Amino acid sequence: MATVVTSNEQIREIEQLLYKEASFLDRPDLDRWIELYTEDGTYWMPAIPDQEDPHNHISLFYDDRVLMEVRRRNFVHPAAASKEYAVRASHIISNIQVQDSDAKSGACTVTSNFHCYLYYRDRQTPYAGTYTHELVREGDSYKIKSKRVDIINCDAALNTIIIYI
Amino acid sequence: MSYTEEQIADLVQPTKVHRKVYTDPEIFDLEMERIWAKSWIYIGHESQVPEKGSYITLNYGKVPVVMVRDGDSHVHVLHNRCGHKGAKLVDKPCGKIPAFRCCYHGWRYRLDGKLLGVPHMQGYEGTDFDKDDPQYSMQKMKSESYRGFVFATMNPDGPDVKTWLGGAADVMDNLCDRAPGGEVEAAGGVLRYEHECNWKMFIENLNDTMHPMIVHRSVVDSALDYIKTLPEDSPRRDEAEIIPPFGASYEVFEETGITGFPFGHHYDGGKTSIHADYTLDPDYEAAMLKAYGKKRMYDILSFNTHNTLYYPSLTIKSAVQNIRVVRPIAYNKTIIETWSFRLKGAPDSMLKRTLLYSRLINSNGSMVGPDDLTAYFRIQEGLQSQASDWIEMHRNFGRDDELGDRTVGKGTSDLDVRTQFSAWRQYMTEAA
Repeated sequence: MATVVTSNEQIREIEQLLYKEASFLDRPDLDRWIELYTEDGTYWMPAIPDQEDPHNHISLFYDDRVLMEVRRRNFVHPAAASKEYAVRASHIISNIQVQDSDAKSGACTVTSNFHCYLYYRDRQTPYAGTYTHELVREGDSYKIKSKRVDIINCDAALNTIIIYI
Repeated sequence: MSYTEEQIADLVQPTKVHRKVYTDPEIFDLEMERIWAKSWIYIGHESQVPEKGSYITLNYGKVPVVMVRDGDSHVHVLHNRCGHKGAKLVDKPCGKIPAFRCCYHGWRYRLDGKLLGVPHMQGYEGTDFDKDDPQYSMQKMKSESYRGFVFATMNPDGPDVKTWLGGAADVMDNLCDRAPGGEVEAAGGVLRYEHECNWKMFIENLNDTMHPMIVHRSVVDSALDYIKTLPEDSPRRDEAEIIPPFGASYEVFEETGITGFPFGHHYDGGKTSIHADYTLDPDYEAAMLKAYGKKRMYDILSFNTHNTLYYPSLTIKSAVQNIRVVRPIAYNKTIIETWSFRLKGAPDSMLKRTLLYSRLINSNGSMVGPDDLTAYFRIQEGLQSQASDWIEMHRNFGRDDELGDRTVGKGTSDLDVRTQFSAWRQYMTEAA
């Protein structure tokens, strides 16, 4: 993919998509969130910094469409004891940079920094790190082909991460 | 209060245990001294220290230790403490060093822990400080390896590892025998998962076959509900073989059976388990056939256990090739580590499946582990109630078969928990 100068309009459009995705995870509303992803889209949270791939090393999350569909159902299943507690999040995204973009197709790779406070079980947990989104054009809008979430404490002993960050 | 030996013995009855074994910090401290310092505790796998100077650090109970390979390829487990002021000598999870050197005053130690040098020795001249006195070296723990799995103990008088493992060694053998090369190696990193519960709640759940259909119903339902929407000719997915068996019926689990051993070990399954119906990878099958021949391959692959506990610190899944390690922090806090293993001589697809399993079932972000943990922390909080002091463990009591070196019962028997507490009582009341 060739690096090109992106227009303000394009950057604005990308920002709006990232904010929209974050707002669906704030609630969280996985039914609407999943629609932002392509059919072959993936969500990945590595377990170590600079992890090379999701298959030959353990990850905290690596969901493709199939697992997203299962998780979407599980999240609201009345028998899931871990989901009985309120889950609320607040995401702030900044430092958005288009790393790579293809002038012809509009496909691009975008990095951003995020802070997310996640409230779950009377506890508020801060997560911080970097998102890497691969976006592709589908019709008039962008969709997410992959999202990589590098939390800065990915290799610490963490508690349950109840929802996508 | 301080417990007398009799009072401790009374906390465990044949079919019930007192809630204080989970809720009293003093009992936790006694467990660290009497169980965790006396039993064999899993340290790590030899493959994690492949070369001279490779080391890993961890806590043995509350004691910081380091496992290291020396120049003669011997693996040692040493107290991670400088013989001078006591500083930990290495503090990264793993690494490689030519020798130990303290970050404070620069005392240096050989890889087997022997003190090599102290800067500016003149100051000690004429004092009774003797650099060669073993008390100033890094202290060595008694350790033994079984097929690459390294255990250590602070008990100079206990049985050797093979005796201690007893018949439960069959499962560790099976894990290694599932490698065409006859050996396994740690691969693909570790997940560390903080559990806000007593360490025993985690190990009591391993062979608790009465919980999956309740606790894991949501993920099984969700998976089956989605699978229903897929066309029949959709490609096979490992997830579809891994998740649904967690919803197996009481009758299926009953059939798997539980086997208990001395020293608190036990496993469920044997002839069959919830891992028994995984598709056999054709390349793996070919490698196994070549290594073992048909009959031996069949014997290895048809020994199908689910979870095996080596009391108190190690639990393995031979059919999946992952292990979980119990690291107690406090009476109400435990870290569970999940490690995955590569079968030497097997195709890469086998490790990928193991890692998929670890992520899908044991990860902090999974749809299985968090529901188990919810049950544990609710027990931890619920037991603050003094409505009753006792937790029962009656299921199938008196109906398990005593077969000499082992006890065998139906899959839903509480014999696993009774096996653990029989060991608990013995460790906790044996004269120190």
